Amino acid sequence: MVTAGKGVILAMGVFMLAGAQASGASAPVNERAMALWARSCALCHIDGNAGAPRVGQAEEWGPRLAQGRETLLKHTVEGLNSMPPLGYCMACEREDFLAMIDFMTANLAAAPAGDQP
Amino acid sequence: MSPRWSRRDFLASSALAALFAAYHPGAAARSPSLPWRNWSGALVCQPQGRFSPSSEAELAKFLAATSGPVRPVGAGHSFSPLVPTDGHLVVLDRLSGLLSHDPAALQATFGAGTRLGDIGAPLEAVGQAMLNLPDIDRQTLAGATATATHGTGIGFTCLSAYVQQLRLVTPRGEVLDIGPGHELFDAARVSLGALGVVTRMTLQNRTPYRLKARNWVAPIEEVLEHFDAQAAAHRHFEMFPLTHSDYALTLAIDETDESVNNPPASPEEEAAFGEAMAYWASVPPRERQALVDGVAQQIEPTEAIDTSYKILSNVRNGRFNEMEYAVPLEAGAECLREILLTIKAKEVDVVFPLEYRYVKRDDTLLSMSSGHEDHAAISIHRMASEDYRPYFDLIEPIFWKYGGRPHWGKVHSLGAKQLAKLYPRFKEFQEIREALDPKGRMLNAHLRKVFLG
Repeated sequence: MVTAGKGVILAMGVFMLAGAQASGASAPVNERAMALWARSCALCHIDGNAGAPRVGQAEEWGPRLAQGRETLLKHTVEGLNSMPPLGYCMACEREDFLAMIDFMTANLAAAPAGDQP
Repeated sequence: MSPRWSRRDFLASSALAALFAAYHPGAAARSPSLPWRNWSGALVCQPQGRFSPSSEAELAKFLAATSGPVRPVGAGHSFSPLVPTDGHLVVLDRLSGLLSHDPAALQATFGAGTRLGDIGAPLEAVGQAMLNLPDIDRQTLAGATATATHGTGIGFTCLSAYVQQLRLVTPRGEVLDIGPGHELFDAARVSLGALGVVTRMTLQNRTPYRLKARNWVAPIEEVLEHFDAQAAAHRHFEMFPLTHSDYALTLAIDETDESVNNPPASPEEEAAFGEAMAYWASVPPRERQALVDGVAQQIEPTEAIDTSYKILSNVRNGRFNEMEYAVPLEAGAECLREILLTIKAKEVDVVFPLEYRYVKRDDTLLSMSSGHEDHAAISIHRMASEDYRPYFDLIEPIFWKYGGRPHWGKVHSLGAKQLAKLYPRFKEFQEIREALDPKGRMLNAHLRKVFLG
């Protein structure tokens, strides 16, 4: 669950991604991966369940991104801490996970003070 | 309390709808396939490919056109190796959601790939609620029912027995609608995914309701002495015996008309029990009891009131492996005592509590509570980062001694010969399986052991 404030921020982030897709500016959105993400990863990555970094939040993704995209992929496939292997996405392949990582880390925005999960 | 956005609301927002508008379900996955792992990470396989059908027709066509090994996968939550295959994984995620509902009969039909945690809200919107849920709700309906997953309560069967109708796509690609009176009904509701792929099912539900959960700590022997009375008095009653301790956490859940009062736990509250377990683990098992008992007695009772599905299931962030057996009700207390004494006597270095609860009998062929008597279900656990085998190997023979039947989705080592003695209708299931899948394309190594010996 997320508060209304958080939900609006997240929805705005997704609108930004949609805009980016339309203009071709950055972070191309893979619709297959987005649908898979909504069914699986969204369980935790919308509201930060179990310490999961929230979509679009710079402070939460920054240290993770610093490890490199391939490391994030490895953690996703093998599981890390509370995130199970494959992040609940039994249908996902390598390209899907990479697209999801790109989606969640595109247009990173700083979370408002006191709005941490 | 501030207003909330649920995940459902977020996913239904116009922003995501816009993104999904261009989604083409036929989009092919690229190869080679990633390895598959289960939730705990203990099981790994390298499938030839993943097939994620968007319709029953697409699945039927795939099964009719191919002949290689196939295993269906739900959420990958089973601890037993039901899924691993070097053939194709059939992923049910896209066969999900509420398909139809019957307000008069209080029944609703869902895609079999629907996660249990995604059922409560849409069901409530049409004036229905599931009768019971297991402790964890991340499993799919298909996976939970195929393994006879259950919740707690002497008045409640496993989820499979609430299935009123299901659709099965057989290994040959035939589509069968199966309901009461059909020759496959009792087998198909708990099938271990060995009869084909279940694509949808109709559940018997009830009107929405609210539950009040109360937790408290009590001496294990005191809880056992009154367990039958408590199980009869409460809608749900169970206990979580602490290892190397005389105490257990208990949980009673009852219907209520009281207002919702279920504030989310603070990070500190969420971490508290994990920190306590880490503290206990820092002391050798033989010296642990005073420490565990001392902390246990400090645990304050808690209460929570909410819509049924928000009370019955919990989010379990710490991953683990689990073994669970059901023993006849009258053997439950003695079986539990012997397990707890063995853990103490053998100084097993485990701090994860056990779980002890009752489950009502049912009329499926292979549910752990099928037949003419209710059962006591006892679970043992190990954190996913630990080797569970020595502990589970030590305890499993105790379950056998009391006539235990394994939970199909949890770790066990039994094969066809032993299982046939535990299930009066086991042979009937074997014959049905052989008839539907004579070439054994739905079998993997684990299921060959379970059904062929």
